[in-house]
Amino acid sequence: MSASTETGSPAGKTWKSKEEFLGCVILTDWILLVILFAVLLGSFHIHYMLLAGDWDFWIDFKDRRMWPTVTPIVAMCFAAAAQSFFWTRFRLPIGATTVVLALLIGEWINRYDNFWGWTFFPINLVFPSALIPMGFWLDIVLMISGSWLVTALLGGLGWGLLFYPINWPVLAQYHQATEIDGVLLTLADLIGFNYVRTGTPEYIRMVERGTLRTFGKDVVPVAAFFSGFISMLVYFLWWNVGKWFSTTKYLEIEEV
Amino acid sequence: MMNLTTEKAVSAAQADETDTIVNFKPAYITMGVMLVFYVGIRIYEQYFGWKAGLDSFAPEFQTYWMNLMWTELPLEFVAFCAIGGYLWKTRDRNIDAVAPREEMRRILTLIGWLAVYAFSVYWGASYFTEQDGTWHQTVIRDTDFTPSHILEFYLSYPIYIICGWGAFMYAHTRIPQFAKRISLAFLMFFAGPFMIFPNIGLNEWGHTFWFMEELFTAPLHWGFVFFGWFALAVFGVARQVLDRVIELSKEYEKDVLAL
Repeated sequence: MSASTETGSPAGKTWKSKEEFLGCVILTDWILLVILFAVLLGSFHIHYMLLAGDWDFWIDFKDRRMWPTVTPIVAMCFAAAAQSFFWTRFRLPIGATTVVLALLIGEWINRYDNFWGWTFFPINLVFPSALIPMGFWLDIVLMISGSWLVTALLGGLGWGLLFYPINWPVLAQYHQATEIDGVLLTLADLIGFNYVRTGTPEYIRMVERGTLRTFGKDVVPVAAFFSGFISMLVYFLWWNVGKWFSTTKYLEIEEV
Repeated sequence: MMNLTTEKAVSAAQADETDTIVNFKPAYITMGVMLVFYVGIRIYEQYFGWKAGLDSFAPEFQTYWMNLMWTELPLEFVAFCAIGGYLWKTRDRNIDAVAPREEMRRILTLIGWLAVYAFSVYWGASYFTEQDGTWHQTVIRDTDFTPSHILEFYLSYPIYIICGWGAFMYAHTRIPQFAKRISLAFLMFFAGPFMIFPNIGLNEWGHTFWFMEELFTAPLHWGFVFFGWFALAVFGVARQVLDRVIELSKEYEKDVLAL
């Protein structure tokens, strides 16, 4: 089946016509983009669910301290790596938006089909966090500045600060206070207690606790600012991780 | 004379038809079959997960779940060996003589392989992995071989490994740039997600020691994360493929820039 000599065209010529070339290149460009999208979806999703999953799975984990701290930091890794690839190699300011869109597609399919469809949790309990405006922000900063340094500093800080406000329109209703049997709790807590999971017990639920809680209104800004600070550092690191994975090096067969 | 001319024209047209350079049909069909298969599997687990998947000591668990696992594992091993063996056996033994058009055809076939690999990575790493999270936070496990594990670890992961292996071997046996040397990016793109499978050993070992259901983000799971990062090497593979496409299409460089 060796086909080296079975070619119909003369040696040295790749394409039969300009039309064939253009049609083929445009089609394969699209397929390569779909490949990138699907692979980023899979790898980002496994990264995100196993590093920030619990805060993203359950409405009663979406608190004012741990959720806005952990989630943006974890999400920044793939946003920075994708920006590094798409911007450095193609000057496309779409990396961050593309990966968060991919992640959210994977998550929404899962929350409906599995969390709701297989284990029967209501969508109110398990909807994922919004991230797309943060992706827009990071891509716009990179596009306007053209600098990964500025994007790390300004984009990274904004990434952390934006997370809570963009989720607030959906989240606010679940943070309303309610009283059950003399106990004051939020609507999110109430939903969580009604759908018992292994992550339900209070000693497990990693939500706000300690002295910061007594600061009341300051919790979110402090958490978001800290998250933005770490996101800056993560951006530096993962920009280079993305660059490293874009390698075109070859190894000699004897080396492997 | 007329007949001769017509015959020549017909045979030229036929030769032209068989000389198509791009054919993604096999990739589309494979992805279609995979989609139907996974939807079928999902329906199976919807029904038999609750009906027969709650108690691993029950006879029905053996019937509906363990038998499925003992069927899929050998089949996957055979498929892995068969695909690798076939591609190696039919390798191009005269790789230096590949004409540019044939090389381009093979690069496009490789893109088809990569599309299938990417699709299978979605199912394994995204769909079935997060599904595992909700199942194990709902149903307490009494075995390593739970319904979600039998479909996630021992079905969807081996399937993406087989697809990645096929893509890697196709490139290594047919495309000059990947045949003479080993692409570091391609090696990582295949080997990183592959290592997620052996990492199940660590995962299950840990689960037999500790009750880890309470947090899906438990450190025991971070091995999966580490090896999942290597899928980012798709960046390097895409660059290598595109670089070669550009090299083979120098004559139309201006047309591409005009797009």
